[in-house]
Amino acid sequence: MSVRHFLRRAALPQRTFAATTTRHYASQKPGNPVLEIFNRKVKHVQKDRAAWNVDESRKVDYLKDEVAMRLCERLLDIKRDFTNVLDLGANSCNIARALTTPNPDPDPEAGSSAPLATRISKLTCADTSRALLYRDADLPFNQELAIERDVIPDLESLPYKPNSFDAVLSSLSIHWINDLPSLLEQVNTILKPDCPFIAAMFGGDTLFELRTSLQLADLERRGGVSPHVSPLADVRDVGGLLNKAGFKMLTVDVEDIVVEFPDTFALMQDLQAMGENNAIMHRQLGPLSRDVLLANEAIYRQLHKEEDARGIPATFRLIYMIGWKESENQAQPLQRGSGQVNLKDILGGGSFDGT
Amino acid sequence: MPNKTRPIEKFAKATAQCSAEAAAYGKCVVADYNAVQKDMCAKEFMRLKDCYLAASKKI
Repeated sequence: MSVRHFLRRAALPQRTFAATTTRHYASQKPGNPVLEIFNRKVKHVQKDRAAWNVDESRKVDYLKDEVAMRLCERLLDIKRDFTNVLDLGANSCNIARALTTPNPDPDPEAGSSAPLATRISKLTCADTSRALLYRDADLPFNQELAIERDVIPDLESLPYKPNSFDAVLSSLSIHWINDLPSLLEQVNTILKPDCPFIAAMFGGDTLFELRTSLQLADLERRGGVSPHVSPLADVRDVGGLLNKAGFKMLTVDVEDIVVEFPDTFALMQDLQAMGENNAIMHRQLGPLSRDVLLANEAIYRQLHKEEDARGIPATFRLIYMIGWKESENQAQPLQRGSGQVNLKDILGGGSFDGT
Repeated sequence: MPNKTRPIEKFAKATAQCSAEAAAYGKCVVADYNAVQKDMCAKEFMRLKDCYLAASKKI
């Protein structure tokens, strides 16, 4: 008997208990696993609460109005009349407001073209929060466009029939969706063939300043971190998601909007008044402790404030996406390398050394 | 409620009067932000908090 054999035998009794446990094949649940990241009930309550304070809520619409305007600019490029349009997650119908404002032409002599609303016969604004949706129902812009406000119980399962909309728009809402792939698939279903889905959402590095400084404040004061800023989709993911949902001819682009605030308290107050406060499922409940707030203010200033700036910056990264529902006689992208005209001849330009 | 200041506004006002203490605390944390530990800057924080408490009494 070799030494090696002897050793193995001696070691055996210690291992026997491990051998008696049996491993079973884990059963797999049917369907896609659904991750619950955001608490939908909490989000609903936050939106309602924000909208009840009408004055505050209107004051902080600067971001949603601006993004709605930029989103609607993308509609200008589509020379088409839309009979039936859905605004998915309408907030306070910011898109409707943007659609009814005249579009100034880049060339000042040409004046401004008619508002986009003239090309739209009916706009359905859908959201979960009744208070927010009806907040501006008696403002003048409502007369310029046929708006139907639709309070739906849940943004993640749409109560509409397939092939019913000529366009689906969505501005700053779908970053609160738990199951984005499923929602995009539903949007693709309710669209008529060869009709666009145009959306803007917060993504990636949105509020990275607040995220980092709160983490540091949490660590230094409490010795641990709880999530305070939502996880967000990245630009790279969006193309894949749209593709997977069956959209064709995708366009995805990114834009950063940096807003200056006097201090972190003003930033957090504004977020709350927008109804955009934290609604992550597994977080520490209750408000932030005063110690963490105080520490956060100091760290944010130190880490992110520019030398000679008056206030602190907060970055909002917006992801704009356009996808078209597939149709037989839809314009197709040409084969690679089939171009007959050199773009350089049209756009001009020269070599890289500036000649 | 136009005349009532919200607690957070009061908080912001009091904190704004402690910019020197806040900067000292901020510098302490940011100086080594890859290895932040609990109470790493406790001394600086207590100074900031004392200043804030004193300032909030005056508002």
